[in-house]
Amino acid sequence: MATLTMQNVTKIFGRDVIAVKDFNLEVKEKEFLVLLGPSGCGKTTAMRMVAGLEEVTTGEIFIDDREVTELPPRKRNVSMIFQNYAVWPHMTVYDNIAFALKLKKLHKDEIDRRVKETAGMAKIEMLLERYPSQLSGGQQQRVAVARAIAVNPDIFLMDEPLSNLDAKLRVSMRTELKAIHDKAGSTTVFVTHDQSEAMSMADRIVIMKDGEVIQVGSPDDVYHRSGSIFVADFIGTPPTNFMDVKIQKESNGTHLVNTHLNLLLEPEMAKHLNGYDKNHIVLGIRPENIVLVGESDAALSASCLVSEPQGSHQVVAIQLDDNIVKVVAPPNPIIAPGTDVHLIFKQETLRFFDPDTTLAIND
Amino acid sequence: MNKNPIKLGKLVRRTIFYLFIVTLAVSIILPVFFLVSLSFLSTRESYSFPLPLLPSLKTEYSLTHSDRGYLLSVYDKFDKEYQTVLDTAELEKMSVYMKNQIGTPYSIPKIEERIAELENGGKDTIFFSVRKNLLLNYTTFFQITRDAVPALLRSLQIAGLTILISLSIGSMAGYAFARYVFAGRDVLKFSVLFVRMFPGVAIALHMAIILANMGFYDKPIGLALVYSVGSIALTVWITASVFMGIPESLEEAAQVFGATKWQTFLRVTFPLALPGLAAAAMYTFLGAWTETVSAILLTQFNPTFSVVVYQSLLGAVGNVNLTAAGGLVLAIPSLIFTFFIRKYIQQMWGGMTI
Ligand SMILES: Nc1ncnc2c1ncn2[C@@H]1O[C@H](COP(=O)(O)OP(=O)(O)OP(=O)(O)O)[C@@H](O)[C@H]1O
Ligand SMILES: [Mg+2]
Repeated sequence: MATLTMQNVTKIFGRDVIAVKDFNLEVKEKEFLVLLGPSGCGKTTAMRMVAGLEEVTTGEIFIDDREVTELPPRKRNVSMIFQNYAVWPHMTVYDNIAFALKLKKLHKDEIDRRVKETAGMAKIEMLLERYPSQLSGGQQQRVAVARAIAVNPDIFLMDEPLSNLDAKLRVSMRTELKAIHDKAGSTTVFVTHDQSEAMSMADRIVIMKDGEVIQVGSPDDVYHRSGSIFVADFIGTPPTNFMDVKIQKESNGTHLVNTHLNLLLEPEMAKHLNGYDKNHIVLGIRPENIVLVGESDAALSASCLVSEPQGSHQVVAIQLDDNIVKVVAPPNPIIAPGTDVHLIFKQETLRFFDPDTTLAIND
Repeated sequence: MNKNPIKLGKLVRRTIFYLFIVTLAVSIILPVFFLVSLSFLSTRESYSFPLPLLPSLKTEYSLTHSDRGYLLSVYDKFDKEYQTVLDTAELEKMSVYMKNQIGTPYSIPKIEERIAELENGGKDTIFFSVRKNLLLNYTTFFQITRDAVPALLRSLQIAGLTILISLSIGSMAGYAFARYVFAGRDVLKFSVLFVRMFPGVAIALHMAIILANMGFYDKPIGLALVYSVGSIALTVWITASVFMGIPESLEEAAQVFGATKWQTFLRVTFPLALPGLAAAAMYTFLGAWTETVSAILLTQFNPTFSVVVYQSLLGAVGNVNLTAAGGLVLAIPSLIFTFFIRKYIQQMWGGMTI
């Protein structure tokens, strides 16, 4: 149980591939932290530097107060679940789990006790004598988990551990991994590019892009209080809808206006624009915060392009000029293409972004 | 009716497939069968025409009087008649002939018994049959060839040394090629193959001079070095692909879980590479074990077994059936080695294949 601190960590491959750029992060004790970002944004690289598998170009890494930047992997007391599990095919499940314990020269009985205990946690007690080639993908994954918890690590690193499992198993393994984390209580860094995985498991999410940290916050924060257009767009399916609007101050209050829209902001929301001196913003609104209403109440009317029924709800796509706005609506009645729909926005959920910096104006 | 064309097409395809397989099998099996059969033939059989497909198990003799002494005849299965093979009064000559040419050892006292039968029985001719000693060629081979047993041991020693040298150097190079990126890697990897582009004979003479300067001429280590030059190229390529086939994450996992670089190699990389290394060892063994041309040139008083087999074909003692027996003896260690390694590779780690 430890904290992990990364200070100004940068990783440059070769001469000019900047994989991680000035990375600052503090992971609290027992925290489940998720690194989330699109493919190639440097998540794996960041994690491998913590493990010691990749040299740090500049910056420092601390586990508790111990600087580990230059230490070889074996001296860091971290453990890792690899994306392809990396269980050793020439060892039985038992030997896989016992490997690290044997290297630590623990007593035989102690090794046996710990192997059985962790195998029990990962639910593979009955597979101990098998070789990995005799296991299913999900079972191999459990072996990797058991091997990683057996060593009682300070930091637990997981690089997309669920990405090779089928959709159903992935969801059930999420719950189990989280339960194991709670039980073992180890500080965990979990890498994924699957945002629903991140949302459902994380205490805090770190959103990365091009090697940089874009936003750090609870799942609630990054979803409802996205700090930039990138985050608002990256998190959520379907993602946030964006519209370019002009700010018009009139006698009855502040309006957001474009060719389709003339929205009178409630005073609460208008306040957020007070310090803002440009006259354009990007308006962001999540699909579930747009509500279908009768024609008389509408802030915006347009015709439906297509509707995708999802069982519990339907996603209605609406064409406004050249961008498409998606709305999450109740499942019934199904809205036919071409029908006129009338919408209002839940004002308190609106996000305002600066079109130049792409950062959020309200927070 | 409609189904017929489909069935016919299938039939044709199957027939062609089996014809192909059978041709392949026959072209492999037939020479081996021929060699095995030949190694059990007597000298007389092996120089007869047509050559018998299978060795006979016993020989029918007839014995009768002649002007000079006795006439010994042998029944020829092909011509279906007795053919005179010897006309002599010397019993020892008769016994030696029966053993060496017909493969049926028959002692002089026994011949005397038969002659007594002829003299006292009042018959013109007597008939008798003698069982053939099938292993005679093998024992003879070891008796008549100059130091066959030491040569066998020497060959084993050379093959072992070659495996040791070429596998230790080759696998280190292979590991480097597989894991590290360095300037000129690909050029170097290809240039390793250059040594295999020359026929061994072409450089054997120079090798002889170099080895003589080193004091290794006509010594097992000398031949092992020469063989290693060729087989290192092979082992580098085999082991490089073996190491490339081992995911780096397996090594990284070992390091994360507490292993030093050396422990990682010993406990993860090496055991994982073992089947591949065994295969490389097998090829190296086969190459070193059967090589003859360089061995002829680079040895003088200490030949390898393959040289001994080759020499048995030459000179006064040269009999093809003896050479065949020697050739089979040469093949046996290769077979055993290949069999065990194959079995070992197949049985590893719960039947996993890599
Ligand atoms: N060994 C390497 N040499 C050169 N460039 C590398 C190396 N490893 C990674 N990179 C580059 O660094 C960047 C970050 O890679 P990284 O593997 O960390 O991405 P990631 O966020 O884990 O992506 P994914 O979600 O696809 O796994 C990429 O642009 C990648 O091409
Ligand atoms: Mg990755």
